[in-house]
Amino acid sequence: MLFTSPLRYPLYQLGNPQLRIFRPNWFLTLVRPGKEQPPDTAQFRIPMEMTKCDVKNYLEKIYNVPVGAVRTRIQFGSNKKRNHLSQKVKQPDYKVAYVQLAQGQTFTFPDIFPEKDRTAAEGSVEEMQEKFLEDEKQKQKPDPRRGGVTEWFGL
Amino acid sequence: MAASSSAGRVLTLCKQFQNVLRISSAINTPHCAANFTKYQPHVYRGKSPLAALSWSTPTSYLGQCRALHTTISRRGLEEFFDLPENWGETSVKSGAPWTAKQLRTKSNEDLHKLWYVLLKEKNMLLTLEQEAKRQRVQMPSPERLRKVERSIIRLETVVTERETALRLLQTGQEKGRPGDWRKNTFGYVYWYRFKEYAIPWYMNKRYKRKKFYTPKFVEPHIRLRLEKHIREKARKASLKKKTLAKLMEKFPQMKVSAP
Repeated sequence: MLFTSPLRYPLYQLGNPQLRIFRPNWFLTLVRPGKEQPPDTAQFRIPMEMTKCDVKNYLEKIYNVPVGAVRTRIQFGSNKKRNHLSQKVKQPDYKVAYVQLAQGQTFTFPDIFPEKDRTAAEGSVEEMQEKFLEDEKQKQKPDPRRGGVTEWFGL
Repeated sequence: MAASSSAGRVLTLCKQFQNVLRISSAINTPHCAANFTKYQPHVYRGKSPLAALSWSTPTSYLGQCRALHTTISRRGLEEFFDLPENWGETSVKSGAPWTAKQLRTKSNEDLHKLWYVLLKEKNMLLTLEQEAKRQRVQMPSPERLRKVERSIIRLETVVTERETALRLLQTGQEKGRPGDWRKNTFGYVYWYRFKEYAIPWYMNKRYKRKKFYTPKFVEPHIRLRLEKHIREKARKASLKKKTLAKLMEKFPQMKVSAP
């Protein structure tokens, strides 16, 4: 095990101090919901070991996000696909958490890959490459003086 | 609340911005790691959409008296995403990962804060990766994820080093979790690590079913296993010798490296 965080947390018996986790080893992934979700809901992929309380505390303490309710489910990763050796290939299972934000906050998943006009800098390698590619494409085009008539016809 | 992600990014990955941490160690921030604030020299991210509470640290705390203006940026779920300028880029610049040598120079508070900075950065990169897969677009600079993972691992090793050193000094115990050398049913001696139970071992039925001794009928199989292992070793040694002899025959001037 790469991390030496306790594989076993201390046993809890009545009167024991509250378990506190320093340097949590859990990473959340915010995902775009597949199905339409209410405006105050954010969808996360969380490690299997996390619980609803863990997610709530995580977001409140580390990200300072006011969390209302958390609902979790485990998504089964398919075992149906087969590789070139006809062996079954398992997609990993993962846990999904639906987090409803408190205090009337809303969240919409933004568009992280907008179309950007990429004009290469002057005198750079990219600009020369682009110019070269453009010239090549120009060579492939038929002669405009022929007025759309193909080379198949003589003359 | 937490640092602006620009400074966080810069902090996590760029060596040059290590000096910022020196300022933060002078600030007497309260206990909870989530409440730390950082001073961002020139990469301050301006106005945030959410209402930003600004408060200046009382100068009574600072030994190296410099009036710092720190802002608790409450950007919440925005911290799962990169800076908006980087959306849609094909590559994003990032510095080198933290080395264990650099991390050992940092104080425990700094390492604690760095852990959370790295955690947030990794979360951001994971969301970016997933969204790129969803949109069927290449993720910009995926090496950042590897760098952050390496930094986290190194941080963990440094912290465990310090913990073991402290434990050795205070109690003389080498390992945090108690254990014992025990023989299992197959004749192997291994380090058994103790587990915490609410009841003593003689009341634990499942534990009593586990055998920490080798039965009599297993011993001949242990001998056979040992013989197999010795035969394999001898086979490997003889193969090496034969190949070497063949090479020496072909190339008599060949220099043999010492084993």
